[in-house]
Amino acid sequence: MSTYLQALLGGISTGAVYGLIALGLSLQFGVMKIINFAHGSFLMVAMYVTYYTCISLDLHPLLAAPIAAVALFFIGWACQRFFIDGIYRKESAREPIGVLIFTTGLWIFLDYFALALLGPDSRMIDSPWANEVVIMGDLIFTYPQVAGFVVAALVTTGLVAFMRYTALGRAIRATGQDREAASVLGIDSKRIYQLSFAIGLGVLGIAGALLLPMYPVNPFVGDIFGMRAFVIVVLGGIGSIAGAFWGGIIVGILESVGSQLIPVTYAEALIFLLFLGVMYFRPSGLFGVEKE
Amino acid sequence: MMAVQDSKNRPLWGALILVVAIAPLFSGNQYLLSIAVMTLLYAYLALSWNVLGGIAGQLSLGHSAYFGIGAYASTWFFIHMGISPWIGMWIGAALAVVAAVIVGMSSLHLRGAYYALATLASAMVLKTLVENADDLLGGPRGMEVTLLRNAPWQFQYTSKEFYYVIALVFVALAVFINWRILRSRYGYYLAAVRNEQDAALALGVPTTRYKLYAAMISAAMTAIGGTFYAQFVLFVSPDKVFGANLGVVIAVVCIIGGRGTLWGPVLGALLLLPSEELARSFSGGMLGADMMLYGLLLMLVIWYEPRGLVTILQRWFGRSDRQRLTKQGATQ
Repeated sequence: MSTYLQALLGGISTGAVYGLIALGLSLQFGVMKIINFAHGSFLMVAMYVTYYTCISLDLHPLLAAPIAAVALFFIGWACQRFFIDGIYRKESAREPIGVLIFTTGLWIFLDYFALALLGPDSRMIDSPWANEVVIMGDLIFTYPQVAGFVVAALVTTGLVAFMRYTALGRAIRATGQDREAASVLGIDSKRIYQLSFAIGLGVLGIAGALLLPMYPVNPFVGDIFGMRAFVIVVLGGIGSIAGAFWGGIIVGILESVGSQLIPVTYAEALIFLLFLGVMYFRPSGLFGVEKE
Repeated sequence: MMAVQDSKNRPLWGALILVVAIAPLFSGNQYLLSIAVMTLLYAYLALSWNVLGGIAGQLSLGHSAYFGIGAYASTWFFIHMGISPWIGMWIGAALAVVAAVIVGMSSLHLRGAYYALATLASAMVLKTLVENADDLLGGPRGMEVTLLRNAPWQFQYTSKEFYYVIALVFVALAVFINWRILRSRYGYYLAAVRNEQDAALALGVPTTRYKLYAAMISAAMTAIGGTFYAQFVLFVSPDKVFGANLGVVIAVVCIIGGRGTLWGPVLGALLLLPSEELARSFSGGMLGADMMLYGLLLMLVIWYEPRGLVTILQRWFGRSDRQRLTKQGATQ
């Protein structure tokens, strides 16, 4: 029994980090209706930033999180400001296919740029902290697991509050619901897009820092997590920030408990099947609102 | 190539295309020919995708599923039952149509990004199932096509020229199918669905049914491309023929060229495939440099013109946009 409980709780903690990865994607998706295929690659960048900050400044991985967040925030802002915005404007009438192709190009470019620059090796920070454990009865948790869950929950809560109670957060949500109506009310949609893309990547920076102690980084690490992030976003409901968090936890549980019950290779299919089921019966996602 | 539709230059352009198309056959360079074959294969796949993704405007990212079904079906029937892949490819196409109906029924009511992700997820489910079918399909290791050397009736030959000619015929047929659809009443319905689904529905176009037909045609064509690939490479594995990036690449080739146009898919393949090869040979052994250039090229083309190469060439050669739009229903 305790094996299952252990798997369940372990799944919840990794799932929370998955949720945090998906959160930025959900925000971009919800506000701009764009599919950002480079999301996984940005996660890879975040993990490398964390890795080299930790190594060169001899920092604790958790202290590197704010640095990674700030770095990714500016990368996201610049990316939206200089590239995506132009493409988005050229075809704003429909769903922006151009952005999807552009970010696919960016995804390939970033992955192979990292390969050319840093080589194919998987790297892990070797911090004694990452190997320490908390023991509660029969259950064992590593510090990174605990930290991952706590920080992910805090960041999600913070962002939900930001979106709900601040003027800026309300402006972001208004733009997501109806861009024209929002601009009539004097909201500068261009600025809102830059901000939401940047916030999305900033959060991803934190997620990268939380993930690194649990998972080694290599140039292609983003491929797995990026694909999973899409599943989570749709499960939780596109645009729903709390939904991304819960979606992440569901996927985390499915992965860890599922692999206790059936072969690991099938657990992956289970995630995608759940995804298809949700798409069929509830396209707005498990936690999404139907339509205001 | 842009003036293909222009009646007074038509014979000239037709002759030029023909010369360029058969030129690689006389080079005798096997390396060059294999690049040419892959370019034609991707042109064919992009044209197949175009029926659903371009003309009907449904952004499928899961065409790897149909490609894999075609590759696996013909190979399985060949090595286990001795059925020639020339027949097996039709079995593959039929299975792909069934798959398209199943995928379509659960996803065609979704719109835009949701549909794209649902197709991607469907392809992933299928890939996982194939990877786990160790006894039936060889699991993650895949299957090898029994080597027969020169056996044209078994879709095999040692020279690349054989495959080149077949690929060329496939592309010609795919262009013809696209042209027929674009010119037909059905094609105009699909364009209506793409441009304004609600309006089309209100005018009595059975949108979901028509989208499903487009998906079935597109899937069958893609599956036949899968059989071609299996016979050309003589090896299939889940990673190679069911991989998520394959489904994305097929869509990318078409969109870079110009989705919903007749020649866009061919142009996309002509640009992307050879430039990937070129980048590889000129990268000077720097790890990953070829793919970096490939990614840059994608970003550059889309950043310059989201509607793709067809529109870029139109602008450069100054053809009136309006004429083209009515003729070919270029995207939006």
